[in-house]
Parts: sequence; structure tokens; C-alpha cells
Amino acid sequence: MNNRIIETFNLSKIYHLKERKTIQALDDVNIQINEGEKFGLLGPNGAGKTTMVSILSTLIQPSSGYAIINGENILKNPNKIKSKIALMLGNDMIYYRISGYANLKFFCKVYDIKDYKKKIEHVTREFGIGKWLNEYVERYSTGMKCKLALCRILLSNPKILFLDEPTMGLDVKTTKFIIDKLKHSNKTIFLTSHNMDIVEKLCTRIAFIKNGKIIKAGSKEELRKLLQKRVRIFIGINENKIKLKQELEQQDYISYISNEETGLKIELLNRNYYNKLFPIFGKYKITKIQEIELSIEDLFLKIVD
Amino acid sequence: MSSSKTIRRIFSKTFAIAEKNIRIQVRFKYFMFWKWVLPIITLLMPIIILDRFLDYSTNFGPWTKENFMVFILIGYTIMIMQGMIDYIPKSLLREKYWKTLPALMVAPFNRFYLLFGYIISEFIGILLPFTAFFIAILIFFPLSLPTLIIVLLMLLGIGIVFSGLGLFLGVFAISNENFLYVFNLITRFIFWFSCVSYPFQLFPRAVQNIINANPIYYLIDLIRLAWIENNIIFTILSHPIHIFIFAISLVIFPLICVYIFNIIYKKLGIKGY
Repeated sequence: MNNRIIETFNLSKIYHLKERKTIQALDDVNIQINEGEKFGLLGPNGAGKTTMVSILSTLIQPSSGYAIINGENILKNPNKIKSKIALMLGNDMIYYRISGYANLKFFCKVYDIKDYKKKIEHVTREFGIGKWLNEYVERYSTGMKCKLALCRILLSNPKILFLDEPTMGLDVKTTKFIIDKLKHSNKTIFLTSHNMDIVEKLCTRIAFIKNGKIIKAGSKEELRKLLQKRVRIFIGINENKIKLKQELEQQDYISYISNEETGLKIELLNRNYYNKLFPIFGKYKITKIQEIELSIEDLFLKIVD
Repeated sequence: MSSSKTIRRIFSKTFAIAEKNIRIQVRFKYFMFWKWVLPIITLLMPIIILDRFLDYSTNFGPWTKENFMVFILIGYTIMIMQGMIDYIPKSLLREKYWKTLPALMVAPFNRFYLLFGYIISEFIGILLPFTAFFIAILIFFPLSLPTLIIVLLMLLGIGIVFSGLGLFLGVFAISNENFLYVFNLITRFIFWFSCVSYPFQLFPRAVQNIINANPIYYLIDLIRLAWIENNIIFTILSHPIHIFIFAISLVIFPLICVYIFNIIYKKLGIKGY
């Protein structure tokens, strides 16, 4: 049986702005995450991702609703939760004016970590920043800062990692390195991002959030099934492209058509409509028909639009 | 967990904060130099003016040509300690914008360890100029051992009151910065009317009335009087109002400030970054 480690109950957050205006950052959010699961929360800017992470990590309180984390209520026992979680907001939350080692030593003391020298040595060697430890963090590259921030949160050996845009500003190589490290850890990960790539590669379950509401959630496979109903096809054509486009636009089973350099890109509402296309294609000199695999990014764009 | 382990843990966490803050401060070495020299520059003018005044006039209350350096040097030590009021809000503000404050707030860590850590680091930061000037005053005007001990305890008391004020301002640094600047201005006025640089007797009657309503004035004045009278029993008996206000301030100021800090922090949390 799966062991539920994060569960929210009608979690809402309202921010009060100037002139008595309010903004609903979270609206009755209910999610469940099992122990060891890598959960991704995807959404556009201002969707409520950071608010969600801030509430679950006990940094701010919800306006209504509550959450149970590792068996404890965030409103009643935030201190019991704190020793089991770690939060990383971007590459921040480290002191730039002191050395990497001083940063890690400081957080080890704050988290009451015994034998911290060995642990620091081990974790920094694993992340490849060992030889930079005595340098001021302000001299680190963005990737190194990110690695140091990850070392910081991993040192306390938390059960749950809350990561808000952890790979922001990182190059492909460092992002891959970080995804690999996180993927092979046994921690429960709650990741928020608008970077589809990291979410798709790391997370086993994904939820989409927009205007504070969860609008779709499921495992990657479930979401893919949802995508598979629709088919996106590239049609290569050199002559009469506009005529073909006009004809396709009249078909009600085609939801989307776009002009490409060497042809057209269309999207069918359902795979079953595939056969209806061939009589139309027969009238033109089609050079290529290729099915395009839909990514989580496509689904994201579809949902948020 | 045994109480000794708990105490050790609290000390370890508090000193970790202090150590980190000192490391950040000494990152730019001239910052410390600036911090120590600034009050001297501020006090140079009163020294020049008072010296000239005392050449012509007989004295200002108990302050004469012979003992006015005690007045000035105690003023300097108070000014150094005044930095404690600014230090907590400045540090909290900095941590808020560095986004390191959330890292501490989500740690299994009482926010008062953080504040005590700030106070300790500021104490350590001012220790060198404070000690130097304290010894300088002792050379100008030596004290008996009981008075010396009482004066040191009084200075510690002032440190606690100032830290309380810093705490009060600090909560606005993280919750609502607008109020920080308003209250900062108020504390400037409080110090302006506390006779830290000029003797009470030098001010016109209307200003003296304002000074009389300022508890900080009594705290500073009591230390100066205790020093020049050099007889702690005599000082206690001859300045009961000073003693009363000192004792009340020492208890009430920190308690009110901690109370306000807790209320505002719980209500507003960290805002504005």
C-alpha cells in the first residue's frame, strides 16, 4: 500500500492587495502525494506554484484549508514538519558573502547535524564542488550555486524536498546532472517549475495549476493517454498548400492547422478521424505524412491556453 | 532530551548565527573600520564646542572642564551600542532580500535563536571599540570596583533595551517595511532628545521638558552620574527617578518588544521580497 506523505484539503490562499483588491493565489487545492514519489506542479507565472510550496513548507499559512505532511498538520505542528523537509527556492537561500563551506557548516549547525565535516566532504564531492568550497559563493557560477544549494538541502537528510524552479538559469549539462541526482534519490520530491523538460524527465506524477486551481493531474502515462486521443500530423506539400489548408479548415474534426515552411501541421480531435484524411490527401501531391509525438509541453500549452 | 543537551543545542544554533553574521561583516574589512570611526566623527563636534563653552562658563550641571571627557566618551560607547538598534532590522532586511530568511524560517529553529544570534554578533562586533573607549574613560576618571561592576551591568542593561528596540524595528523589516522607516525616524528623535552628545543643562527649557519625558535619557544619564559620583550607594539614593525608570525600562522594553514582534510576525509573516 502506498504511504501518503503529503495531502492537502481544500487549500486556499488569498493575498490582499492595494485598494482592497484581493488575489486568489490558491483555490481549494486537493492533492495527494505518496512517499518516494516525484511530483511536479506545472503552471504559468503567477499560477500559485510558489504559494503552494511556501504553504507546504510551513513558510506561510493558508487562508483556509490545511495540509498533512508526514502525518502532521501544517497548522498545528509546523515544527515537527520542519525537521523532515527541505526547501529550495531557485538558486537562492545561500549566503553569497561567505564561503561555500561556511554556508554548509552554518546550515549543519542550524539543523543539528552531527559529524558534519565528513558529510559536507561526501556530499560536495558527489556534486563536484569540493575544491571550490573555500571560495566565496559570490565567485561561483550559476550551476555551482545551484549545486551548493542542493548540497545544503540534502545534508539534513530530509524526507521531502520542496524545489521551486531548481534549475532556473542552468545549462543543459548541469540540468541533466541535477535531474539525474534527484531522480536516483529516495526522497519525496515536490517540484514546481515552468520548465517542462525537467518535470517530464524527473517526475512520475504531474499536476497543472492555473489561477490557483489544479486543472489536471495524473501520472505521466495517464497524461500521455489523454494526449494520445489527439493526433498531430505533419503534411509535407510543395504545390497547392493554400488550397489544401482551405479544404482542411472546413473539416470539423481538425482542431488546429498551422503553416510550416515545407507543409502544414494539423491536429485531429481523435485518432479515429485519421482515415477521413486520405481521400483529401489523394487530391494533392503529398510528399510526407508524419505523426508528431505530443509532449507534456504541448499538453501544458493546451491546458493553460 | 535532557536539559543540558537542549541548552547546548540552543547555544550551538545561536552561536552558529552569530558566527555566520560576523563572517558576513568581516567580508568587507573597511565596513568595520567605518562602523567604529563614524561615532568618533559625530562626537568630534560636541568635544570642540563643549571645550570652548567650558572655557568661558563655569560648568553645565555636574559637567566641568575636568570631567566632560567622561560625558563625551560615555556618549561614544552609547553611540556604538546604538548600532544594535539598527543592526537587527538591517540584518533581517538583508536576509529577506537575499532569500536566506526563508531558509532559516523553514528550519527546525526557533526565531529567537536567530535574534539572539544577531545580538551576540553585534556585541562581538562592537567589543573592540567599546573596550578601548571604556578603558580610555577609566584612565580619565578611575572607578572603584563596585561602581565599575554596577556600571558594566548598567551598560549590559542598556544593551538589552537597545536590542529590544532593534527587535521591534526588525519585525517591521520583514513584515511591513513602510513602518520600519516611520519607527526608525521616531527612534532618531528619541536619541536626539537623550543628551547623548550635549548636556541637559545646555538645552532651552522647552527642550528640557521633552528630554525629561524620554526614558533613554535617564538610562544614559544614570551611567554618567554613577561614573562621576563614583559611589554607587550615593547614586542610588540621590537619583531615585533615574533608578526607577532604568529598572522599569529594563523589564518593560524587551517584554513589550518581544510581544509586538510575536504578534506582528504571526499576523503578517515575511512580506515584500
